[in-house]
Amino acid sequence: MILDFLDQYLVNGLVLGVIYAMVAVGFTLFFGVLNIIKFSHGDVLMAGGFAALLAHQTLTSLGSELTIFNLIVTIIFAVLSMGLLGALAARFLVLPLKAAPPLNTLLITLMLGLAIREAVRLFYPNGSNPKPFPRLLPDTSTTLQTFQIRTDSLIIIFGGLGAILFLHLLIKNTRLGLAIRAIAQDSETARLMGINFRKIVLGTFALGSGLAALAGVANGLYYNEVNFSMGLFLGVVGFSSAVVGGLGSILGAIIGGFLFALLQTLGAIWFTVPAYKDVFAFIIIIVIMACRPTGLLSESSSDRV
Amino acid sequence: MSTLLEIRNIFTGYDEADVLSGVSIKIKKGQITCLLGANGSGKTTLIRTILALTQSRSGQIFFDGQEITEKETHDIVRLGISTIPEGRKVFPKLTVKENLLIGAILEKNSIKLSSRFEEVIDIFPQLRNRRNQIAGTMSGGEQAMLSIGRGLMGAPKLLVIDEPSLGLSPLFVKENFKVIHAIKERGITVLLVEQNVKQTLEIADYGYVLSQGHVVADGTAEALANSDQVQSAYFGIQKNKDFEE
Repeated sequence: MILDFLDQYLVNGLVLGVIYAMVAVGFTLFFGVLNIIKFSHGDVLMAGGFAALLAHQTLTSLGSELTIFNLIVTIIFAVLSMGLLGALAARFLVLPLKAAPPLNTLLITLMLGLAIREAVRLFYPNGSNPKPFPRLLPDTSTTLQTFQIRTDSLIIIFGGLGAILFLHLLIKNTRLGLAIRAIAQDSETARLMGINFRKIVLGTFALGSGLAALAGVANGLYYNEVNFSMGLFLGVVGFSSAVVGGLGSILGAIIGGFLFALLQTLGAIWFTVPAYKDVFAFIIIIVIMACRPTGLLSESSSDRV
Repeated sequence: MSTLLEIRNIFTGYDEADVLSGVSIKIKKGQITCLLGANGSGKTTLIRTILALTQSRSGQIFFDGQEITEKETHDIVRLGISTIPEGRKVFPKLTVKENLLIGAILEKNSIKLSSRFEEVIDIFPQLRNRRNQIAGTMSGGEQAMLSIGRGLMGAPKLLVIDEPSLGLSPLFVKENFKVIHAIKERGITVLLVEQNVKQTLEIADYGYVLSQGHVVADGTAEALANSDQVQSAYFGIQKNKDFEE
């Protein structure tokens, strides 16, 4: 019975895992370079989804009907606009509070999240209702023996993994990445090497926020819907994933994201009431955190950023 | 000989108390200038002030003909100052090679970069086989080499070396002094902060003695080696008192 749908559960879990991992990687990056938690991250994701919607509406109103072109432009617009928003938030809210207690940064980003959320609700036409997100991915499916996989799921899974891999290679192999890792390990010595601290922090926030926008678009494409409050849940899930994986570790964030999706999927298989799957997942996360407070990949055993 | 770095009447303090009260120092091109003084005399604060890690209250700093008093750390470094910080401060989770590359992160020319890398590896051949080792897993002496190598990667006009022999075995301390002398031979100006008075004065050209935030003595290394003030700045006692006891 339920095992008949195993392939659906598996694919659904992988899609969710990729989306959660993209959000978690942002949290871990911000914590890596500045030791802060940026709680507006989920709302940046939501705004990224709405930015994509706006871009798509503009394109169609201009008469652009080529789906693949619309999809690419939509994604680029969402990623760039949220990257800019992330850099602005870093410049005007986070960096000025660098010397203040971390709690202040946490509060101000929480407020920023609220402001983004309410701004979308108030200023987007009819913003308090869920908006249909255009189907820009092919709705075909592939059958592998008994496994049936929707093409859009495959694209989201590989696209998301590709984005994370791209970020990983950027951090491992480029001068920007070297500077980010140096700042994460010892920001004062990094400055003594001639690294412009402020510039690197802005760049990191732009990267993380761009990735969140991509997660927002992926979420919209998968559910064919965006709404102004979707960032709340995804933000909490992304944060939990980053913490359970070990804040500061990119690999940990990815593992955490997929772990959360796995728990949700198991919860969905075991419990008949759908809402229980989140309760189940969060309970297990709490248990893991109680046993391993520094996360699965703690600082000592993994590279920070 | 022309002056590379000049500090004019610098006052720096944390909270209310001044750590540096009117310090003036000149560093000549091509020389090793040393800063001597006991713990808490203000040596590290002076270095932090030069590099804008700590803000000065008043006074001016000039480097290579331009004022750097108000500049930010990365802009000062860009002008040609590399630092070998106290405690070595290698990036523990980066490899040896990455640590060296970070020392030259401002250099965009990859040909210059690889030739500098080879140059530094030639000075410290021990680092060659360890280029992929994680820096945090190396011994203190090896990290000291790496830290010096990282400083040289920036091809600086001025190399600031803060307490290089702190926590090292005597053998490494001796090795360190040889290396610092060799750096000077390559035409790099050195500002050396050290606790090892005798060995420092052996390789230095000129020196300043700090005590409680004031320059209490300065002169050529030879003159300082024979000066009572150096002794008293370190040990707080006069030489002749030793004889009385």
